[in-house]
Amino acid sequence: MRHFPIILLALMFTSVFAHGNDGHINLGDKATELKEEGKSRDIHPSLAEIRKMHPEFLLHKRDQTLRQGIRSKRNSLKACVDCHSSTKNDEYLPINAPEQFCSTCHQKVGTSLDCFACHRTTPEEEL
Amino acid sequence: MTKKLNRRDFIKNTTANTVGVASIASGISLTTFAASENPVSNKKRWGMLIDTNKLSEANIEDMVNACQEEHGWGNEKYSTGEQKPDWIKKVKVKDKATGKIDSLPLMCQHCEQPPCVDVCPTNASVKREDGIVLVDKHLCIGCRYCMMACPYDSRSFVHENLSNQKADTPRGKGTVEACTMCVHRVDKGEVPACVEAVGGDGVIFGDLYDANSKINKTLKKIQSTQIRADLNLNTGVRYSGI
Repeated sequence: MRHFPIILLALMFTSVFAHGNDGHINLGDKATELKEEGKSRDIHPSLAEIRKMHPEFLLHKRDQTLRQGIRSKRNSLKACVDCHSSTKNDEYLPINAPEQFCSTCHQKVGTSLDCFACHRTTPEEEL
Repeated sequence: MTKKLNRRDFIKNTTANTVGVASIASGISLTTFAASENPVSNKKRWGMLIDTNKLSEANIEDMVNACQEEHGWGNEKYSTGEQKPDWIKKVKVKDKATGKIDSLPLMCQHCEQPPCVDVCPTNASVKREDGIVLVDKHLCIGCRYCMMACPYDSRSFVHENLSNQKADTPRGKGTVEACTMCVHRVDKGEVPACVEAVGGDGVIFGDLYDANSKINKTLKKIQSTQIRADLNLNTGVRYSGI
């Protein structure tokens, strides 16, 4: 019973710091730039919110875009890919490839996503 | 760290900052205006008028190529002839009585009463408020009822895994697809790729309800027809010269 508070504290710490020092292993090129400039909070005011809620945001936005023609950048998958893609040897890496932005967490939590069966995995603009 | 700021430096820095802020602010306002934040409404109905007399066969081939280029279909490696997608195709029609032959581009006709929407079991076939008929591939289960229901054979089914799709046209195995009337361009205020490829008066794109639009005025003036008008689908794509 004496150990109970210690175990509880340990559990709390592991859940709080699951993302490791508030960082993401591979944030992507543009997103890293924005973060270094201190502008990332303009796009994602709360990291906890976007981490937990991004599936709902994307789901909501997809219906708005497809059915109502609302094509703003906020919560659009295309904008996610544009910012969070990384490059190697002057080429974009697919965002769903292992160790890339989308896969790092999804692999860890065992989520298989099929956004990229249809959606483009790299930004369309040339490097 | 202390640094004495003299008057000259202060003015220099302030001007630079002001210019910087102003340029960022104008950038933000531009993007806000460019993206359409408002839902589409049924005050508009997008349509097309295709004048086959003004279209050469080369024009029609240009339209098909422009569509392929815009949406990235036609490079499927493993699909056989029947399985290959056909968002828009060149069709030849012959009047048996007179022998007159016409070539015309045929794609989704964006019906007001679309049979594909009627039969879809998952609500994946949708008609937007502004009359554009689309497939919601998130909901499509690939049953292909819509392909059977469509009188214009305008829908295709993707038979193989795809990669490197166009950013504005997600496409994937197991879903049905068709002409979107280049909805991503229309939402930006542009015209569909095939219309742009022809140029001139061969294909007119516009709002059928707007009395001042070119398409509305032309339709009032000249003889035009719907393909399979007997089905009473009230198509958004209309033809003249056939």
